[in-house]
Amino acid sequence: MKMAWLKGVMPALVTPFNNNFEIDEAALRNLIDFVIDKGVTAIIPCGTTGEFTNMSIEERKKVIEIAVNQAKGRVKVIAGTGDAGTDTAIELTKYAEKIGADAALIVSPFYLKPTDKEIFEHYKKIAESTNLPILLYNIPQVTGVEIPWWVVEGLTDFENIVGIKDSSGNMPYMMALFEKVYGKISIICGHDEIATAALAAGADGLILASANVIPDIWVQIYNLMLEGKREEAFAIQRKIQTLVRIITRRGGALPVKAALNMMGINVGKVRRPLMKGGILPYEDEELMRIHLEALGKIPKRRVTFEIKPEKVIESETYVISETPTKINDFSLRVGEGFASPSMAEIAHIDLALGVKNGPVGRIFQETLKNPKPGHEPMIVKFDGEEVKPYTLLVPTVRIRTAQQAKFVYEYAMKGVAKAVIDSVKLGILPSEAVDHLVMIAHVFVHPTASNPKRVEINNYKAMRYAIRKAIEGRPRLNELLERKESARHPFKYTP
Amino acid sequence: MFQPKGVYTALVTPYTKNNEINEEVLRELTDFLIEKGVSGLVPVGTTGEFVYLSEEERKRVMDIVVDEANGRVPVIAGTGASSTLGALRLIKYAEDAGADAVLVVTPYYLRAADKGNFQHFYELANSTDLPIILYNIPQCTGGFLSREVVEDLAEIENIVGIKDSSGNLPYLMELLEKVGDRISILVGYDEVVLAALASGAKGMILASANVIPDRWVKLYEAVARGDLETARSIQISIQKLVRIFCRHGGNVAVKEALKMMGFDVGKSRRPLVKGGVLSPEVREEIRLELEKLGIVQPKPSVVETPSKPLQERFQDLNIEAETIAREKFKVGEGSAGQGVTFVHIDLLAGPKNGPIGEAWLRGLINAAPGYEAVSVVVEPNLMVKPITLEMPAVEVKNLRQSSILFGPIQVAIGKAVLDAVENNIIPKELTETYALITKVSVNPEASDRRILYINAYRATTDAIKQAFGGCNQ
Repeated sequence: MKMAWLKGVMPALVTPFNNNFEIDEAALRNLIDFVIDKGVTAIIPCGTTGEFTNMSIEERKKVIEIAVNQAKGRVKVIAGTGDAGTDTAIELTKYAEKIGADAALIVSPFYLKPTDKEIFEHYKKIAESTNLPILLYNIPQVTGVEIPWWVVEGLTDFENIVGIKDSSGNMPYMMALFEKVYGKISIICGHDEIATAALAAGADGLILASANVIPDIWVQIYNLMLEGKREEAFAIQRKIQTLVRIITRRGGALPVKAALNMMGINVGKVRRPLMKGGILPYEDEELMRIHLEALGKIPKRRVTFEIKPEKVIESETYVISETPTKINDFSLRVGEGFASPSMAEIAHIDLALGVKNGPVGRIFQETLKNPKPGHEPMIVKFDGEEVKPYTLLVPTVRIRTAQQAKFVYEYAMKGVAKAVIDSVKLGILPSEAVDHLVMIAHVFVHPTASNPKRVEINNYKAMRYAIRKAIEGRPRLNELLERKESARHPFKYTP
Repeated sequence: MFQPKGVYTALVTPYTKNNEINEEVLRELTDFLIEKGVSGLVPVGTTGEFVYLSEEERKRVMDIVVDEANGRVPVIAGTGASSTLGALRLIKYAEDAGADAVLVVTPYYLRAADKGNFQHFYELANSTDLPIILYNIPQCTGGFLSREVVEDLAEIENIVGIKDSSGNLPYLMELLEKVGDRISILVGYDEVVLAALASGAKGMILASANVIPDRWVKLYEAVARGDLETARSIQISIQKLVRIFCRHGGNVAVKEALKMMGFDVGKSRRPLVKGGVLSPEVREEIRLELEKLGIVQPKPSVVETPSKPLQERFQDLNIEAETIAREKFKVGEGSAGQGVTFVHIDLLAGPKNGPIGEAWLRGLINAAPGYEAVSVVVEPNLMVKPITLEMPAVEVKNLRQSSILFGPIQVAIGKAVLDAVENNIIPKELTETYALITKVSVNPEASDRRILYINAYRATTDAIKQAFGGCNQ
């Protein structure tokens, strides 16, 4: 291996932007300190997660400079200096060398898809133009082209080509790298979902988007693998798998920034055209929140619940910046929850939550007394016992078959019940409030649903989201006004 | 040697209730298609579910169709198989059964490379005197039959054509350029038929030619006499229907359409089921398209502005006219459009902590069957503020109708509400404390989502302006 330090856990830093989409230097410095404290071995500014393609050359130089300056030699800095064209990549790499970066990570050329020969020449020209150590970077999901292993093999003969980051997630490809260039250059895994497997197969280190969010967990996994404690490492990987799957597959920077913002580490927005609700579905943001809470990454704060003027509850609960510090008006709070996958098994819940002697309480009683045929309500129970707050489940779609009834009153019901119980356990609904509140869940199960487990899980998630959104009053009006033009309802369009 | 040209139907295979081949309906369908003027019939192709039929069944279907056609039109038997030996046996049989040609799909599942594909067709061609039509359908086989292989195969005497179902026009152009002068290029992808014929394809083998054989015959004839204008208008008139066939359920969708037309063709075999590749919503769209084309008769229905005074239209929610007056609740109404796309909206608004909140929930939770309501979103997870209820005022009878009401109409209402907030027609301070209830009248037969969106948006905006008009002053 040419570079002894090129190993361990290295976050591909996001580039924080403020509300005007300008680089937020203070937030960037804060993020760098956060990850260094957690024990990473290097930081990568201006990589794919850093949205380098949506930044000007000047901005990229500035971010690299801030990273070098803030690292202050505590960790190495590997600057992302790749570009579609060779000349710009050379310019950026030379700049990185000049201002003191320790290496450059250079993505293979993209958009106009070059062939083997052109990829080889691209890296050759760059390597000859600088003394800076260079990491090749294979990420065919975005470049559209895989760097063939024989090109990598040939490039290892250059003195300053010291490593490759492979983000393809393609294990057979990575195994070919091990076969051909193992020990000659560092082989770094860049795909969060297979990181532990890659380490087990011999990877030297990790450059990951999710290492912005959970650097400590990745350091723990990395160290366990060094100590040969594979079982423990894989157990942790399984615990973070949903989180890193969302980060890997739902836009990189977008979910990473959403996660950091929820954790109270403000990194602002991503640049257009990436948008929440687009490549990162809203439901996945909610799901990340649940997983981040389970991993202990979301802070708690005191929230005041004014259930009635005479009933005020102070509760310590998990919050994000949108969570109000005081919540009043429990006459009728409405929250929507939507969870997939699989069109046939989607869950959609309209939830009404309120005090017993308000509109929700009255309709709760009225519905029990006068059920509508096909929409018979059922009080939500778990293991035969009513959950609290008392919750009424009402099917959205008219029940016409026994199979449909089973899916709604048994499988969806189970998910809804668990969600209520967990929401109370986690303090999202304060336990002191449950006797004062009632809920009505209007539950949509598609008549063609066929997978009971999925229906249960999706309804669990949808109910968790609906409760939280009813409590927090989300989406907020400003979000709605900002997103109303780009909203795209799946049923709006003709087949 | 037989040179295929014109309109060929890739026949479905009808089944009885017991899932056995339904000879009677197969004969009936064969007659129907011949009467409609198709140039030939293709039993046991992809649309004929050949992969779900035993070899015996495939032979039987060939026999029935050859017998029923009785020389009136040529029969091109689907004799493809994943193995060369399997295809060989079927071709032999087709020959004995009296088929006029065979259609042989590219080997699938275990995919042969160019060499294996060439040898497959080469051996088949040498084994028979029947004319052979090659068949490229990468959506099912997993790979293209490469143009180079087709070029070499076109040299063989009894290889007379290729059916290309890829829908990939660059590939089709390549075929026309390289072998168009030697063999017949037949298009097998319904959505691009006009483009293919205009470029020089000799004909078509189509799933949708079970349902609309006459349209394809007319289109073919129009192109033949150089009348592209007519051909274009025919293609566009059937585009939505054939898109559904191509992309939303193939064989299942074609069988549903035939059943709507009165042919008892039965279900597709497992694992294909309704509600799988073909959703119930899209099934209803098929019916509407068939009505538009005059192939099945529509049920007439008219939707008009409600006749009761506006204040009395919310009694089902326990909101009486005098309550509205006493509590100064806001009401408004609006209409837009005409004929089948006419939309009317009634709107009621007030503080959510009182009777309006209760009525809002009552409408959502306790709706009468057929009048199920939703809390309005502009897309899932973007529920509007003030909370807004959308209640159908006309009974909803199927999932397609709900997909219209809760698709374009819902989005239009949501967008109108948010725009009204942005423009201060609905004061921002009311967004957390108010609830809105809308009742929507839309014709059950309406299907033009774009126009319905526009009309619902206008109707809602007018209703909001009427209801909240006083707030600005």
